[in-house]
Amino acid sequence: MSMRVLKAGLQTTLQGAPFSGHRHLGMPAAGAADCLSLALANVLVGKPGTDIAFEITLTKAIFEIEEPCLIGVVGAAEYIRINGRDHPHHHTLQLNPGDEIQIGPSRPGCRTYLATSTEIGSEGLLGGRSTYMPAGLGGFQGRALQDGDLVAFLSRMSGAILDRTTPPALRPHYSDDHVLRVTPGPEANQPNPGILRDLCATPYAVGARANRMGMALDGAPLASSDSANMPSAAVFPGTIQLPPSGQPYLLGPDAQTTGGYPRIAQVIRADRHLIGQMGSGSRVRFVQTTAERATEIYREKLSLLTSWLGKVDLW
Amino acid sequence: MPPAPTVHICDDWISIDLPDWKMILAARNALSSNNCWTEIVPGLDSMAVQFDPARISPDDAAELVMDQMRGLTVAATDSRSTMTIPVCYDAELAPDCQFVAEKLQIPVETLPSWHEARLQRVTMLGFMPGFAYLQSEEPCVTIGRLSSPRQLVKAGSIGIIGQQSCIYSFDSPGGWPIIGRTPLRLFDPAGDQPALLSAGQIIRFEAISREALENWPQATVK
Repeated sequence: MSMRVLKAGLQTTLQGAPFSGHRHLGMPAAGAADCLSLALANVLVGKPGTDIAFEITLTKAIFEIEEPCLIGVVGAAEYIRINGRDHPHHHTLQLNPGDEIQIGPSRPGCRTYLATSTEIGSEGLLGGRSTYMPAGLGGFQGRALQDGDLVAFLSRMSGAILDRTTPPALRPHYSDDHVLRVTPGPEANQPNPGILRDLCATPYAVGARANRMGMALDGAPLASSDSANMPSAAVFPGTIQLPPSGQPYLLGPDAQTTGGYPRIAQVIRADRHLIGQMGSGSRVRFVQTTAERATEIYREKLSLLTSWLGKVDLW
Repeated sequence: MPPAPTVHICDDWISIDLPDWKMILAARNALSSNNCWTEIVPGLDSMAVQFDPARISPDDAAELVMDQMRGLTVAATDSRSTMTIPVCYDAELAPDCQFVAEKLQIPVETLPSWHEARLQRVTMLGFMPGFAYLQSEEPCVTIGRLSSPRQLVKAGSIGIIGQQSCIYSFDSPGGWPIIGRTPLRLFDPAGDQPALLSAGQIIRFEAISREALENWPQATVK
């Protein structure tokens, strides 16, 4: 039994938890770009927050279900339609064989997560099941879904029919305007000690070639040295690099594990899920904080979410 | 005792400056003894550890790093033996052999033996899963990258920009001049050791024929 992809849209992939513990082998994190929306979708269908779900990017996607199942949809989609009828985000929805689900375009925001109560078939590797497209690993044949693909369901729906609704206070606000808090990166003094202040003073728009690997930020260029190459060093999702162009580059979940540009700032873990809602044209400002304060913010956020999501981890 | 290294603290990872690959390997071994680190990532002159800030605060993590770095002992040599990497230098698989030979000012037909004679050390993996950065200890003129990167470099391709070489692990875009191809699979997610190479490993290239490349057991070359 399976889910048929009638219209895959710009980019729909299977994403769940990131790969962990393999960055020294060059294996990036991958996983849901917006881990908070993923977790909220999964919990609507009674699954752990990090389970595999469909990550739908920017444009409309359409699926047809072949067996009874529950779905939860959380994200930036303008609408959710089942057989042409609108349904709300943040509610458990019950589907019957032959039902057609339309996930509307992201407006505002960038990504939407569709979780199913049945187990979604995906390729496992290195302890994970998410899709890492650049190397063709994991997920559905290591690639984005295409029109006509059949995604297998490995389990039938269990007896329990859930009827859940995300508590209103925990529903993310989807927007094309973002404020991300950053700590100084290891090279926050390059090429000069004022670089972080300048980063935080500059309004940016996400450039045209934004994807899961990262995004160039358009704005008044920052001072940078022509020889802005340094010996390659570890980078992480949320690292902000400063290439010679002076246009900061914000790394996403599929970012490579090491890089040779100065790492001027790091988006704090509590805010990193927002990067998954940033697409070409999104506006972003940066606000400096400390590692200590970032940890408090992260722990506060987790404790807020725990009441609804149970044991939760953001990345 | 060496002086304590400089560390930089972000909210869920810490970067540690280290002088050379020997210290990086020693640091990696020391850090691996603690399960606080969700990632331990070597760079060329640094190391980074990532942690879960729900479990340990950045300050405590930094203290732990400093503890683990204290009295770091450098192993005299890597205990692993030199690994031989077969390479086919057939011009069809080495689109930049002429370009590289000209930079080196050697006849193109001597490029394989020039390359085979140079021992290489794996400095780190990065860019793609299993993609290896290599460093030769012998000096070399700067060759540099291609002026515009290729859309497709085949898996197993050997790139060189001077003292540094690399081995592509997957078909991917890439800007390093390519002088040959190995049939070995650099990354096998199902293997006990998913990456063929790891930081510190010494390797030596050995020329093989086109036929040997194409008939290599479990070759990734199609």
